[in-house]
Amino acid sequence: MSFEPKILGIACNWCTYTGADLAGTTRLQYPQNTRVVRVMCSSRINPSFIFRAFQLGADGVLVGGCHPGDCHYNTGNLYARRRLAVTKKILEFSGMEPGRFRVEWISASEGNKFAEVVREFTEQIRNLGPQTKFKIEK
Amino acid sequence: MATSFKQIEENLKNEARKLLEEGKVSLVLAYGRGYDEDHPVPFVARVVADVENMVFNEYCTANMARYLVRYPRGTKMAIAVKPADSRAVVQLIQEDKIKREDVILLGIPVIGMKNSKTGEVIDSKTTCGMYNPVLYDVLLGEEIHGQTVVSPYDVLAEYETMDKDARFAFWKKEFDKCIRCYACRKACPMCYCDPCFIDQNKPKWGDKSPQSHGNLMYHLTRFHHLAGRCIDCGECSRACPVDIPLYLFHKKVAKECEEMFGQAAGKSIQDKPVLVNFRVDDSDKILE
Repeated sequence: MSFEPKILGIACNWCTYTGADLAGTTRLQYPQNTRVVRVMCSSRINPSFIFRAFQLGADGVLVGGCHPGDCHYNTGNLYARRRLAVTKKILEFSGMEPGRFRVEWISASEGNKFAEVVREFTEQIRNLGPQTKFKIEK
Repeated sequence: MATSFKQIEENLKNEARKLLEEGKVSLVLAYGRGYDEDHPVPFVARVVADVENMVFNEYCTANMARYLVRYPRGTKMAIAVKPADSRAVVQLIQEDKIKREDVILLGIPVIGMKNSKTGEVIDSKTTCGMYNPVLYDVLLGEEIHGQTVVSPYDVLAEYETMDKDARFAFWKKEFDKCIRCYACRKACPMCYCDPCFIDQNKPKWGDKSPQSHGNLMYHLTRFHHLAGRCIDCGECSRACPVDIPLYLFHKKVAKECEEMFGQAAGKSIQDKPVLVNFRVDDSDKILE
């Protein structure tokens, strides 16, 4: 049986989630491996969410937020950018493949970009194979 | 030439006695005698008579800034600070945990401190490798100049070039040793959250028993919480009963923060901690 990646997508309510909605309403096709969770802002994301997702069996984590400067709360994603950059470095130094975590800025009008990013990321995770390093052994 | 430890101890006692007699402070945080000369313990002098019990020698590695946040806000305190400790105090002032006017810093320039467990000399390998405090009110010895400056991040080179699978195996081996005594958290001057995320039950972030996945969650999140705040005193690894080289990871995160945001922790009280700050022109490259 071929490997189907399990991806956690965390999307900001105002841009990426609406962008995903647009991708849906314009009937764009993209892989169904991403489970999207809606948060109110990308700065709502506690880095522990990401560590925890990997522990609970996610093969990849995709975070989507508004473009810098476009945040509904003015500065939320600017804080998130710094924070998630550190998260990425920590994952990398602990030995996790850097390709398993990705942050993208996708606005509400970029349904195409959302579909494109999900397609690309799913393919990337498929090539990396199952994530076993952080996963809790049952 | 650096002032001898005996001389510093004498200066420390005199200064502490003066401050307590004048009533400028209600307590002095310094070091006291442990069960022998080589094992000094953190010590709080509240009355003049306590001052006699103070010591200072090459084994006084504990970071006394840890104890500043334990007293009610507004308590006037004096604290003996070595270079790394002074950065911790600066960082605590930045985070508004203490006020600059409430603390009197008795700065101690040091060289040749030793780890009381192994007897090794502590240098830039495990700490920030500075010789003079960045902030002080009274200096208890002569400033040290002319020492060769070694980057505290040099020790990382070996681990950065490691293959990622080997690095994961290395950290897994180290974290699996962890017995979750939380000595690292207790020794750290920056770890003051109450309750700590790992002690929360709702949400339960990680397993509390010393198992590999709970250990991983605890340590990784702790590294993240200390990102841009860790002042590299190395006290976590010295406090660790199973000798996990926590300082390596903290150094790595500090290095990345310094490279990405151009600011090291605890250097100036005007700065803001990097993760509660942003620049509009931060590059998106940092996310790649």
